Amino acid sequence: MPMLLEIEGLEVRYGRTHAVRGVSLGVATAEVVTVLGANGAGKSSLLKAIAGAVTPAGGRIIFDGADVTALSAPERVKRGLVLVPEGRQILVSLTVHENLLMGAYGRRDGDVARDIEGIYARFSNLAARRDMLASVLSGGEQQMLAISRALLARPRLMMLDEPSLGLSPLLVGRLFELVRELNRDGLAILLVEQNTRMALRTASRGYVMELGRIVLDGPADRLADNEALAAAYLGSH
Amino acid sequence: MSAAAGVRGAHPLVVSAGVAVGCVAAIAGLAALPGGATLAQQVVSGLMLGGIYVAVAVAFTLTIGVLNFLNFTIPTMFMLTGMVAWGLARHGLPFTEAWHWALALPPGIVVAILASLVVERFTFRYLKTRHGDATEHAIPLVSSLGFLLIFEHLVLIVLGSDAQSFPVRFRLDWQVGPLVVGLPQLASLLLSLAIVFWLSWLLARTRTGRALRSIAESPDTATLLGVEVTRIVPVVFLLSGLLCGVAGALFVVNYSDVSPFMGDHVGTKAIAAMVLGGLGSIWGAIAGGLLVGLLETLGIHFFGGDAAQVVVWTVLLLAIVLRPQGLFGGSRIGKGKL
Repeated sequence: MPMLLEIEGLEVRYGRTHAVRGVSLGVATAEVVTVLGANGAGKSSLLKAIAGAVTPAGGRIIFDGADVTALSAPERVKRGLVLVPEGRQILVSLTVHENLLMGAYGRRDGDVARDIEGIYARFSNLAARRDMLASVLSGGEQQMLAISRALLARPRLMMLDEPSLGLSPLLVGRLFELVRELNRDGLAILLVEQNTRMALRTASRGYVMELGRIVLDGPADRLADNEALAAAYLGSH
Repeated sequence: MSAAAGVRGAHPLVVSAGVAVGCVAAIAGLAALPGGATLAQQVVSGLMLGGIYVAVAVAFTLTIGVLNFLNFTIPTMFMLTGMVAWGLARHGLPFTEAWHWALALPPGIVVAILASLVVERFTFRYLKTRHGDATEHAIPLVSSLGFLLIFEHLVLIVLGSDAQSFPVRFRLDWQVGPLVVGLPQLASLLLSLAIVFWLSWLLARTRTGRALRSIAESPDTATLLGVEVTRIVPVVFLLSGLLCGVAGALFVVNYSDVSPFMGDHVGTKAIAAMVLGGLGSIWGAIAGGLLVGLLETLGIHFFGGDAAQVVVWTVLLLAIVLRPQGLFGGSRIGKGKL
């Protein structure tokens, strides 16, 4: 399978903190890959570096055959490399509709209005609150808005950073259902999660990070079966 | 629902139209009273002066609202328009005799905008990318103060430190009953309000406006959504340069007097107007600007020129103590306003 995203020897440093140490991984077209690990393992830093939100100290990021390591975050968004950041980062001083328009900020085609109507048809809660400030949304609705906003950028690879955080079990189930649905439509997904069980059920492959390094990787079902090994790295989940 | 919440819920244009009609009616009523004509005349000049404060206060509001940055060079942009216009006119640029004074103003405004972009390039952008965190707000503030002094003294070297006067006054008076309204003054007041209204439309309704409000709330999120922050920030400086330039032109048309330090007085009043109206609120800056203008002319009318400043600042300090969130309060200090 051709690789859509390839990371080679990625390093991220914040001052003296060495958050990501020589990480290499790949995501194929229309594949779901998960990155697991305890708090502080460097998962968020890895996604931020891939999105261009932090500048890596070393390594290369290849997306769709082109080296994007030197490109700015907005340029990566235009190429279809989109991050839904941790904590959703909804713009609460903007309305729901304006948040969606911001998702399509880099697009110059005429289909934005039609695509937003498609989002409203899919998520009736967002449609009902389209002209309200996004601050009135519940946690689950905010996550739907964050993902919808990312979809409006027309991503080819969507990175999700802890999307299930703070959601009820029912909503977590719906969220992973949505992730599978998006993937069936051809979207590649790189998923960082603390909810190991759900992540491994959704992904085809997984990587386990510890202290900035990848210490384990393989097909998701093998990782899921490898309870003892997983427990050592992933804690109680 | 309280009356205040009702007002806040109404469309600002409707509120503004109501306030304008109310002002005209109040001035007319005042003028009709025996002996009220002089006072009404003061109210008219107070609103004219307020129009200048409005434009400068909105320029401050914009940079504070989007960038969380108190831009001290704003009074300089205002001064540059007046002094450049005077310098161009003085040195006989190719304008015809009848028009050269008025035609010197647009180049003055252009210079203010260019100066504002220079300040962005060499203070905000450069320092923002080099240092983060704790020094983030203090360094652009200090360097903008440096630019204020550099620009003032450059003007001083080129054009002298003396206060200058445009020899031709911009006068075309309109007699309305007992009141005299200067048409160029009225036109410039309306122009400054029109620019402020256009700006608030731009922020509320356009793609660029949404990007600016996103940056105001979270530059990091805006970047992840595809906004090139370093490309949008100059827009803020361009707009604040434009507002200051228009305010400077307004000042010249009203008072015909310019000096390298003319920005200091207007700058402090505009900051006061912004705080009085509610930090980060454009509608607050409009209300605050007009109120400070009124306070100042009425203070001069009742207490004389020197005492007027004491009156103005006492009232402002009291207002800030009693209502620290400002007239159009609710906005927090820091990011996420507008």
